Amino acid sequence: MSDEGTNQQQQAVEEMELEEVGEAELGDSSDEVVIAVAPAFGDQGKKQTMLGIPHAAILREIFAGIEEEELKPRLIRVWRSADLAFIGLDAAKLSGSGIAISIQSRGTTLIHQRDLLPLTPLELFPQAPNLDLSAYRHIGKNAAQYAKGDSPSPVPQTNDPMSRPMWQAIAAVFHIREAEFVKQEKPVELKVNFEK
Amino acid sequence: MSIIAGVDIGNSTTEVAIARIEDGGSPEFLSSGSTMTTGIKGTAENISGIVQVLKESMEAASINMEDLELVLLNEATPVIGDVAMETVTETVVTESSMVGHNPGSPGGEGIGVGQTTHIRDLEDSDSDDSLPDEPIIVIVPQDYDFEVAADIITRALEAGVEVKAGIVQGDDGVLIANRLPEALPFVDEVAHIEKVPLDMLAAVEVAPQGRAVQQLSNPYGIATLFSLSSEETGHVIPIAKALIGLRSAVVIRTPESDVESKQIPAGSITFMGENQNLDIELEAGADAIMDTLAKVEPLSDVQGESGTNVGGMIERVRQTMADVTEKSLEDVKIRDVLAVDCQVPQQVEGGIADEFSTETATGLAVMVDTDRLLMERVAESLSEKIDTPVELGGAEANTAILGALTTPGIDVPVAIIDGGAGSVDAAQFQKGKPVEHVHLAGAGNMVTLLIQNELGLERFEVAEQIKINPLAKVESLFHIRHEDNSVQFFDDPLDSGLFGRVVLVKDDEFIPIESDHTLDRIRTVRQEAKRRVLLRNSIRALERISPSNNIRFLNFVAIVGRFGLDFELPQMLTNELISFDIVAGVANVREGLGPTNAVATGLIINYCQQQDEAA
Repeated sequence: MSDEGTNQQQQAVEEMELEEVGEAELGDSSDEVVIAVAPAFGDQGKKQTMLGIPHAAILREIFAGIEEEELKPRLIRVWRSADLAFIGLDAAKLSGSGIAISIQSRGTTLIHQRDLLPLTPLELFPQAPNLDLSAYRHIGKNAAQYAKGDSPSPVPQTNDPMSRPMWQAIAAVFHIREAEFVKQEKPVELKVNFEK
Repeated sequence: MSIIAGVDIGNSTTEVAIARIEDGGSPEFLSSGSTMTTGIKGTAENISGIVQVLKESMEAASINMEDLELVLLNEATPVIGDVAMETVTETVVTESSMVGHNPGSPGGEGIGVGQTTHIRDLEDSDSDDSLPDEPIIVIVPQDYDFEVAADIITRALEAGVEVKAGIVQGDDGVLIANRLPEALPFVDEVAHIEKVPLDMLAAVEVAPQGRAVQQLSNPYGIATLFSLSSEETGHVIPIAKALIGLRSAVVIRTPESDVESKQIPAGSITFMGENQNLDIELEAGADAIMDTLAKVEPLSDVQGESGTNVGGMIERVRQTMADVTEKSLEDVKIRDVLAVDCQVPQQVEGGIADEFSTETATGLAVMVDTDRLLMERVAESLSEKIDTPVELGGAEANTAILGALTTPGIDVPVAIIDGGAGSVDAAQFQKGKPVEHVHLAGAGNMVTLLIQNELGLERFEVAEQIKINPLAKVESLFHIRHEDNSVQFFDDPLDSGLFGRVVLVKDDEFIPIESDHTLDRIRTVRQEAKRRVLLRNSIRALERISPSNNIRFLNFVAIVGRFGLDFELPQMLTNELISFDIVAGVANVREGLGPTNAVATGLIINYCQQQDEAA
């Protein structure tokens, strides 16, 4: 299997518009993968991850990964928590296929399934600084394959022992900021428009 | 009255039986035990395992170690086997004329034929004169984003360019195809796209989901697309062969290109029999090799042509055996060979999308004689260690028969099949005649090797696990579907790492298999490997020991040892032997131990019989 190791960032979109279109409902089609973003993701503040990757570009790659597997992405925002695991599980419970991807604004991501415990997702990408756009594409692709009942090999991850000392403080700031946007409301469905 | 122990050291397990012998002579069995064999069978490292299992069994029988009067050790099966495998065909692509592979998700479907054209030539579609006016196949390298590429192709289509299909480097086939005004086939994940020659006639085919390419895997189909002469059609057979079963493919017609499916000169094997010597080329295939072997028998040694693959293969085995048995190389004689053909995935030489094609390989299992000295040394050191006399208690074949005869419902004449990792052993016993026995090369390890190679697994251990455990598919975290299609539900969710995976069912544990093979494929490979090695060797062994080489003369066949513990082999064997009117089944030693402990039990019975005769 050839991995998209090199850049596919030719046309990295920088901006997007997120429009709330009502409360997120329980999906009834088994060919969808729900992508849940954390409260501050996308249209709040910096609109990019701690590594400087635009949130818009990440969503586009995840969408592309899912589409390449011929499934449909559905975007929601979970308000009630800044915790990646709970966002992911909430989303998975709304997903018609039972599979969801959740992303925090700092870039940390996971793939969840509705029957799992919050802290045991299918795949977890805890080190946001080691994720590039091709990794996000692959995450979308894997999530779609889980939804199809395939058994994809987990997305390869690099583990950089230096990323903790280098990024921990910044990650904490991102998380604090994320938590400030949390409100006790139900998840909302989002419509996305990528701007070029 | 005395307490004695029978100890059977096998390649993988060490088994013990403890018995009390009354003065009258008949043994009363008190306990039995087994443990993993420590070290290689027949070496001093075995001692620690033996001592441990002896202690456990004595404790189970509530007897002190000091009361043990005699330990009987098996005279090990005097053979050791080893396996090796070489591919004998390869596919070589010269001048990048073919891309045939199975990307996870090619885009669109259908067939397109045209000139290969780089996408940059379509970019300035405003100046009409520069645009190609013939049908084209567009080549999209990875540095074109899917939306950019789709945009360029759409504009070219609108400007009247006949884009028929595309070849894409990234995993973007569906993404691009989805964004075009008409459905066109796109082959993606072509890693070395820079090697695709430009301005050549090419055909791209993407089959509908669940199908394989039809046109490009048919030599006449290729001939039709490229208007080939009958002579040229002859040359495209290797291309068509390499594309069979794939979902997407590209064939490019270049002036000098060629795809060859060629035989690797793997060398020849010389069988040296007691009466004649015969040579056979390895690429002749397993059947021809086995036929030649049958003509030469009885076999005294085997040699591979030096400087060739097979020569290296046989010498490697000889060297391993020389190391284990501490004999000199010349003294290691190969006594049996089993050849098996298999199909292994191999990377295509010169391919541009890291394609794999299925090539033929031949696996060889060979077996060499060892000698009695090894076990004598073990007996001596064991005796010192536990301060009890240790004797070698008779040939393994005889004692295994005696042990198997404790199975309810069995009678003489009887034959047993005892299989392990290295060899299949069979023995036959009729009243008033000596026990006849035979050892054949190729058993458990050969099956594992076939599974490993046919599934393209990196690790031997994974293949070993696949061999001995049934499969299941985790369909949700609350239910799995077993390989017989039955569904099992769980109250507590399974581990998240198992989601969607094909797993091995090992007792109550599930072990995920890291590969993209389907459950059915793995099961077929596993069963075929057992059929081709174990079943075939069992029949071959029974033929050799039965009177006048006819299996029908046997009445009872009992399976002992590890073969009997396999979850499907005994049924396969019973099924196969039913057609010969034979009662065949797994032994149940001492009415309850199943196929295990036959030799350890037999050692004690043998000892008692000898005492009787002496008295």
